[in-house]
Amino acid sequence: MGNPQLWISVFIDGAFYGMIALAYYVTLIGSQFFNFAIGPYAMATGLGAAWLVVDKGWSLWSAVLVVLVGIVVLGAITELAVVRPVQQRATGGELPALVAVAALLFAIQQLAGEIFGFTPLPGQLIFPTSTFTLSSATVQASVVPLLVVAAAAFLLVGGWIRLTATGRTLRAVGDSNSAARLLGFPVNRIRLIAFMIGALIAGLAGLFFAPSSGNGVNFMSGLNWALEGFLALVIGGTGAVWAPLVGGFVLAAAGIFVPYYFGGNSVSYVLLGLAVVFFAFRPEGVFARRVRT
Amino acid sequence: MTVGGAPSAPISEGTGAQPVAAGAAGAAGATGATGGKGVAGSPSSRHRWRYLPHQANASGIVGLAGGVVALLWTGSDGYRQSLLILGCMYSLVAIGMYVPFVLTGTLSMAYSAYAAIGGYTIAILFEKAGWPLWVGWFVAPFIAAVVAVVLGVVTRRVSGFYLVAVTLLFAEAFSTFVQSNTTLAGGARGFPGLPTLTFFGWSPTVVQFGIAAVALVCVVAYLVDRLRQSPWGILVRTMREVPHAVEASGVRVSWMRVVALAVGAMIGSLAGSLFVSSVHAVNPLTFTLNLVFIAVFMPVVGGVGTAWGCVVGAAVITELTLNFSAVGQGGLLIVSIGVLVILLVAPRGIVGYIDVARKWVTRTVQQLATKRTTRHD
Repeated sequence: MGNPQLWISVFIDGAFYGMIALAYYVTLIGSQFFNFAIGPYAMATGLGAAWLVVDKGWSLWSAVLVVLVGIVVLGAITELAVVRPVQQRATGGELPALVAVAALLFAIQQLAGEIFGFTPLPGQLIFPTSTFTLSSATVQASVVPLLVVAAAAFLLVGGWIRLTATGRTLRAVGDSNSAARLLGFPVNRIRLIAFMIGALIAGLAGLFFAPSSGNGVNFMSGLNWALEGFLALVIGGTGAVWAPLVGGFVLAAAGIFVPYYFGGNSVSYVLLGLAVVFFAFRPEGVFARRVRT
Repeated sequence: MTVGGAPSAPISEGTGAQPVAAGAAGAAGATGATGGKGVAGSPSSRHRWRYLPHQANASGIVGLAGGVVALLWTGSDGYRQSLLILGCMYSLVAIGMYVPFVLTGTLSMAYSAYAAIGGYTIAILFEKAGWPLWVGWFVAPFIAAVVAVVLGVVTRRVSGFYLVAVTLLFAEAFSTFVQSNTTLAGGARGFPGLPTLTFFGWSPTVVQFGIAAVALVCVVAYLVDRLRQSPWGILVRTMREVPHAVEASGVRVSWMRVVALAVGAMIGSLAGSLFVSSVHAVNPLTFTLNLVFIAVFMPVVGGVGTAWGCVVGAAVITELTLNFSAVGQGGLLIVSIGVLVILLVAPRGIVGYIDVARKWVTRTVQQLATKRTTRHD
């Protein structure tokens, strides 16, 4: 626990898991739906930007712009063309939409493999700093940008939800979809915004985490990222905007320290154990919303 | 408290669904109050079994005919034989998932682990104890059922997205376990070079093995179809729709879900045993999470109104991903997009629409016959 380099890894993974969990959180608040395609969104931006720069010779910024716009559009398509029609057809049941989003997850991964290639590509550095040493730990060029973007994402989403009319409407829709509809709130528009912002956050997470990802990004990364972000949200809870960040850091600390002390294979068991413990004993997460009665 | 809110509404079964709600009280009372031996006011078991499974019998005959066609198509071609076995393995995994997923509305994604249990059991019993492979076929379903019950009990408070996530994590942890355990599971190398399946000195040929695999799929699909229309099947389908009403009539809904998960796991383990007996090897990459994702799409493609939909879905997906040269490596992409399209515009699946067409033809023929009779009169 005293090794500073391990803590740097915890910060990298924690910031990434926290952002993925934040993307889940925003979508969940707006639509009461866990969009498992969020993991593949992150994979698609990281891999897509690398492919455009490395294989196609685009400039970094045009690649970043294209993948971010593309992922926001994909978020909108997910809601408009997949989740909403399937949910309406199933009169609110979640299994058909769950199968649909699993198919979408699979489709995005396969499509990414077809377009960007089935071999991993190195993530592209955005706003790189120079590599420096902090208390005997080496901080790579990609770390500070990731942490800054994660902090900015949480601050902006927190401010948006608390201070803007759209954000407050999002919370109203999240508290009671039917009541919000009866009061005349634009529920469908809010859902769409939630999906698009969720996709943008996931896209940024994938883009800034890709250079720190050990073996580069490959088309199969999305499923694991989706599960890890989901677990971070379950651990953190949905009681506050920053709860996913806490969940992300708890998950990252477990994922870094447990293999260090107990061997590399133990990480799968720890993830399963964390999931079972939280689902069984604390399903509302560490931070649950408290309601006065 | 149940994580995931209200229990999940099902994927619509569409055609072939019995009037579930109407039979709710009777079915729930039957199992809850009398241990499944019948209840006053509902038809006797004998009566129910005489009238309810007509559709299962008809589907079984059509399914058997389909199996014969598949065997004729396969012939003695080696590549087609391997496709046939793969299709049978997919079918069994999909039917295994069908039991908890479609009947009780509980989606577990741990089927790669259950299939691996089937494969590893026969390999371990052979390698470590010297038992013939066929013994493992009978042991594996019970091991898979025990694992499913333990996992089901641990996760009985969760449903929907939460259950999907935790069962996926379990499947990954199981894969890590077999990969890291060199003593019991052979580590990353697994168990290559297993012998051919032998029964008391007799060994089936490749063609005979294919026939047996098709027969196994037909029997399992037929039994699950009967199960769907049995009092227990009606009970769990009712439970899926109105769990509180069923719970109020004395049935432990969470335990019924665990039973369904165990039945599904047993069938899933058969898939693993079948595949490993055919390829004579097993390792941690034999049954990956891809298998689960592909299998969950099969009932959707084939149709969820009957267990035979899983078999049809498996056939279509095997053909598209492995034998349809026009799409190259894009078969999985086509499958996933196809599932989305089916969910959006054709939720009955292939078997469902075949049934709609059959009913339309029957109705048209009857109308024509009625007109002719009226004209003669």
